[in-house]
Amino acid sequence: MRYIALAFVSLFLFIVVTAVTVRHDERLDPVLYEYVTANFRDDTSARNGVAAVLLNYRMYDTLLEALILLTAIIGMLQFLPGYHGDDGIDDTGDRDGGGNE
Amino acid sequence: MSDMSELSEPSTITRVVVSILYPFILMLGFYIIINGHYTPGGGFQGGATLASVFIARYVVFPVEDIRDETVHGWERLFLALIVLGPILLLFTGFVNDHPEYQIAYLTLMDILIGLQVGLGLSVVVFRFAFFRGVGKSWR
Repeated sequence: MRYIALAFVSLFLFIVVTAVTVRHDERLDPVLYEYVTANFRDDTSARNGVAAVLLNYRMYDTLLEALILLTAIIGMLQFLPGYHGDDGIDDTGDRDGGGNE
Repeated sequence: MSDMSELSEPSTITRVVVSILYPFILMLGFYIIINGHYTPGGGFQGGATLASVFIARYVVFPVEDIRDETVHGWERLFLALIVLGPILLLFTGFVNDHPEYQIAYLTLMDILIGLQVGLGLSVVVFRFAFFRGVGKSWR
């Protein structure tokens, strides 16, 4: 029963997303696109438009991307047990480097 | 470690080929990072390439002599520098007012992001590679 409900929900979401993305007829002027592609070389002196956007126009995006990577690693270090020691419970204690046997 | 004896020895072909490829992987990674503002690429892609150096090292030489706390500490240091760089250089308008420093700024940020991503992915690889099963050590 849960799988049938899940299938209906998935189908409904698919139809809604498809309808929204296909049937909309709003057209925005490409102001920012034209500005960036015309001026990124003079503004940032980078010859790669992606680097210009990532490192100058949208620097917050890059900062938070790096922060997301750190968050993922912190969560993984928290929930995976350590590998030093035989019991594996106390992974904060005596870590002698290992690898010397 | 005692479990190392249970692992099969890497073959000679793998060891030799990875040893030959080792400096080229490093060179490609740093090339992608440093040329990030000229060619497609940048810090994230080059960092992933640098992390593959540690993967190759683990494939041919599975010894746990790298502490992931140390690597994680360096990664956090580079993240702090990544946050500090734009705050001091970009958001104050220094880089946009002095166009002669823009190339240096882009290269610096690419190198910092590349090292941070490379070290972070290395932490992930080490933690999963040295993970000792589920039954005995899962809390």
